[in-house]
Amino acid sequence: MISPRSPIDDAVRAAGGTFGQHAGVDAVIDFGDPKGEIVAARRLGLADLSPLPRVGFRGPGAREWLAARGVDLPDEPNRASVQPDGVIAVTRSWTEVLVLGAIQSADTLCARLESDAADAHRARAYPLPRFDGLFWFALAGASAADCLAKVCGVDLRELAFPPGSVAQTSLARLNAVIVRVDLGETPVFHLLGDSASAEYAWTSLLDAMQEFGGRPLGLRALHALDREFK
Amino acid sequence: MTRERLPPPAGSRIDRAQPVTFEFEGRRYDAYTGDTIASALAASDVWCLSRSFKLHRPRGSFGFAGDEAGGLVQLETEPNVHADTRIIEPGMRVRAQNTVGGLDKDWAALLGLFERFLPVGFYYKAFYKPRGVWNWWEKIIRRTAGLGQVDRSWTPEYFDKAYAYCDVAVIGGGAAGLAAAAACGAQGLDVLVVEREPELGGWLTYGRLDPGDGTLDDLRGRVQGLPSVRVMTSATCTGWYAENWLAVSQGNRLHKVRAKAVIACTGGVSQPAVFRNNDLPGIVSASAAQRLIRHYGVRPGLRAAVLTAGDEGYAAALDLAENGTDVAAVVDCRLNGLTGPMASEAEARGHRILSGHTVREAWRDSQRLQIGGVLVTRVTGPGACAADGERIDCDLLVVAAGVAPAGGLLAQAGARFRPSGRGAVPRLASLPDHAFAAGVVAGAATVAQALAQGEQAAGAAAADLSGSAADALVNSARPDADESGATWPVFPHPHGHEFVDLDEDVTVREIEDALAEGYEDIELLKRYSTVGMGPSQGRLSAIATAAVTATVRGTSAAEVGATTNRPPTSPTRFGLFAGRGFQPVRRTPMHGWHVGAGAQMMTAGLWMRPAYYGPPDERADAIADEVLAVRRAVGLIDVSTLGGFEIRGPDAVEFLERAYTPSFRRLRVGRTRYALLTEEQGVVVDDGVAARLGPDHYYVTASTSGAEQLYPLLLWYQAQWQLDVDIADVTSAYGAINIAGPKARRVLERLGTNIDLSPEACPYLAARTGTLAGVDVRLLRIGFVGELGYEIHPPASQSLGLWEALIDAGREFGIRPFGVEAQRVLRLEKGHVIVTQDTDGLTHPHEVDLGWALGRRKPFFVGKRSIEILRAKGLARQLVGYAVPDRHAPVPEEGHLVVRDGEITGRVTSSAWSPVLDQAIGLAYVAPDQTDVGSTVTIKAARGRLVEAEVARLPFYDPDNVRQAV
Repeated sequence: MISPRSPIDDAVRAAGGTFGQHAGVDAVIDFGDPKGEIVAARRLGLADLSPLPRVGFRGPGAREWLAARGVDLPDEPNRASVQPDGVIAVTRSWTEVLVLGAIQSADTLCARLESDAADAHRARAYPLPRFDGLFWFALAGASAADCLAKVCGVDLRELAFPPGSVAQTSLARLNAVIVRVDLGETPVFHLLGDSASAEYAWTSLLDAMQEFGGRPLGLRALHALDREFK
Repeated sequence: MTRERLPPPAGSRIDRAQPVTFEFEGRRYDAYTGDTIASALAASDVWCLSRSFKLHRPRGSFGFAGDEAGGLVQLETEPNVHADTRIIEPGMRVRAQNTVGGLDKDWAALLGLFERFLPVGFYYKAFYKPRGVWNWWEKIIRRTAGLGQVDRSWTPEYFDKAYAYCDVAVIGGGAAGLAAAAACGAQGLDVLVVEREPELGGWLTYGRLDPGDGTLDDLRGRVQGLPSVRVMTSATCTGWYAENWLAVSQGNRLHKVRAKAVIACTGGVSQPAVFRNNDLPGIVSASAAQRLIRHYGVRPGLRAAVLTAGDEGYAAALDLAENGTDVAAVVDCRLNGLTGPMASEAEARGHRILSGHTVREAWRDSQRLQIGGVLVTRVTGPGACAADGERIDCDLLVVAAGVAPAGGLLAQAGARFRPSGRGAVPRLASLPDHAFAAGVVAGAATVAQALAQGEQAAGAAAADLSGSAADALVNSARPDADESGATWPVFPHPHGHEFVDLDEDVTVREIEDALAEGYEDIELLKRYSTVGMGPSQGRLSAIATAAVTATVRGTSAAEVGATTNRPPTSPTRFGLFAGRGFQPVRRTPMHGWHVGAGAQMMTAGLWMRPAYYGPPDERADAIADEVLAVRRAVGLIDVSTLGGFEIRGPDAVEFLERAYTPSFRRLRVGRTRYALLTEEQGVVVDDGVAARLGPDHYYVTASTSGAEQLYPLLLWYQAQWQLDVDIADVTSAYGAINIAGPKARRVLERLGTNIDLSPEACPYLAARTGTLAGVDVRLLRIGFVGELGYEIHPPASQSLGLWEALIDAGREFGIRPFGVEAQRVLRLEKGHVIVTQDTDGLTHPHEVDLGWALGRRKPFFVGKRSIEILRAKGLARQLVGYAVPDRHAPVPEEGHLVVRDGEITGRVTSSAWSPVLDQAIGLAYVAPDQTDVGSTVTIKAARGRLVEAEVARLPFYDPDNVRQAV
């Protein structure tokens, strides 16, 4: 069985990532310092969520098809809505939706949607292979917006870019989607871009994070942020 | 000799508990943490910091505010550092700039003896005859007139950029700026204050205030108490671009600030007076003397004279006297008597005041590179003074000629200044949209006026942001405040050396000469005389230049006008412009594997691809072995860099019919077809393969180099055609592996697949979907390299795993990976063109024998009409294959010319040594009458050697295409 690998698999392994099962997915659980990562996550940390499921749909029937499957969609483009199970639905335009699997729990929505690909195609909700086409990182912490100001020209501060906001923009000169959906009370920016440039983006972000004392995070730290709130 | 520092509260910026030492010109000096290089040297009574640009005269800082070239020094790894603003670091090694043999004995100062042979604009008139002489002169001129030295062994520092946003940017954190920021912040506006000094307060930190004046503490407290006000100190706004885009440099970072409104509170620049030897070190502005006292605890001189044209000079005189300097005289060059509270106080305290007098000339101390005294004479009229007067010995001359608004940034943004009042001092006349001004730059003369203007500007900015009409121009505080009746203090001297521009060594005489030569327009005058072209960008010379020009031309300064202000307002390090380089790269999922296998990687657009596997010194053998592996057994190449597009929807086929040249209507599901794309002029722009995966679902590949431009082009077509189709770029979502060679099928079968790979079930040009080693793949049976081959498109996340599995499964069949170089040879043996290598910006399909790929019966495809016209005109050239029969002849290279009777008839586009055919082969454009197979063409190879090549039938290898169809 050939398992899927993150586009930055080499980089996270080289950085000492400890892999483990998260909701049926093989992902980095921590980088050897779970407690330190939880502390860092409140300040600034970067997690690779690429192993988690995600899928896109585009076409004139995309909204209707997804709504019929119980996905709660924002009313306008460039917004994100969080489903009760933690799945994030992002409207990239009036006719395109990106569905990001839940960080907190096992998610089956993406798999269910993908298994209906033929039906979606007939409904003119053409599936987009976002799991393979886009990397998915989460930049968490109080300094995240300041850090991103070094690589992105969009004002991502709370007052201009509150939770639920979405920007389709340039990140270190790379086309990217930035989604703000927090975990607990910690600001979290979900960053998605061309999977072929994932290592470049990862390296550029770690470089930008240095002055804030940022570090790579495993999923455990993100789960802790979420639990703190609950 | 180090002087005792003044006791606190003087010296607010130095930490006396932390002494440091540093070197200047090889000598060690003491300083305190917080000192600037120039303040520490001044404390040691060293005033000369460098030599001047042209005449190598001793120079120091006049304003102690980081403006003039006189304050520029050299650090070990950084030239052109403003000594008057750069904070000392322990052990810093500082050298003077622009000297030959050292600051004290600069041999280049002998140039002064030849000064009369260096008139204004001399460099436009010399050095160009006889021809070639400039090459000799250039070295000398660069050595004598250059500024600092670049350290070529320097290690790059880390620079970067950051974006910032605000409702209101306040440029300048002085009294007006703080008042404006506090007022904006109190209304909840998001405010960013940019202050170039290390602390807020501006003049309030060094000016003469009543003891117990709490204005500064109050303002700082108000600003710091507001959460919506951010403060950047030691940050310089160097550019104000369209739509309030501000460039702010701070340390090694350039902030790119977007502000909805900007309030400029940039203050003013103390101006020098113009008299003979006004450039001597030890001649400083009134504000410089006050900065030295209050910021650094430095007593600027033991015996001083003060030359003033306003109240500022009296304030400095009072400060000097109170801090132990013997003020010999206050020389007031105004004719209409004393005005202002400081003048009254000085008079009351018994200072010696010489009203209606000026400094006619200064002279150098006989021992040191600084001022030794001044000649004070009576003013006899505008710009005129008596020849004889009183000689005053002094080691300090404080000059308060007047304050010019620091309006460079505002002017960049589109604000207009008009000279008015005394002499040629500009006053703010109009502001662009969403721009406001307050404080000295807007004409304020007192702290109270500055505070009031700051609050007014804040109100106007807030109104502007809320969409109300705002009265932007709030500079009506002092319409006539500076009307003293005197002209600007410019006193020409028969023996010259009265410098209008201290940066560029431009004297009154040179301005007059330039005007006499006809350079009357202020912009031409600037370029011809170089006035205003130094580091201070005219901030200390523009007014005097306008005054001299107006006098010569018999007109007003307003008529003379001003030169254009351009960013950056102050010298900016290249590192700030460059920032941290962001150059995205794309990597295939197998990148790490290739590197681990010893591949030599090459760039292909943003991608990295293996060129070949093996050390560089075995390049030719490695490529040949890879070629032979594919021809004889099986090879594997990573082609994930190919573009991939999903074309889906009811109109998918219609879209392809229009965008691509071949017809796809009859393409059956499960089949592929070559897809050629031309643009509207009929020029070939890309090619790939279209696979029909479903009734209204096509998967189309594109070339590595073309994919990135192709996707927007396809979207552009769709925007025009509005078909019911979706076009998705899935390039990165799929890896792609081409396995080719006679044993390719056996490797796939060994790996395990649910696709029937038999030639009957999966013939040449078939497209299948299924699983391979358990991975969902798209499988296209195509043959770019001319062998049995399969292009496998697995999901990117599983591509590396599948690649490794293929290598494992193929081991017993002699599989080996091959790179781009081997692929080029293989495809050349098959005569396939590579778009952009074998085509150029004019190539149409018939020139490269791709007429067969045109759907002639289609009513339309992009470029169809143009191709028909081009064909009707007849071919001007044609791409042919050639082989070089002489195996010892040099192998032609891409770009080599095809020649006939001394004329160029074409060029080589692809060339290689074919290990299979054992001869040099290639593709070349030739004249239409040179295309007969078997005829000979001549190629001009390296070093002009002529190589005879034979036009060959394509493909060179397996002409019946049997091998790829098995």
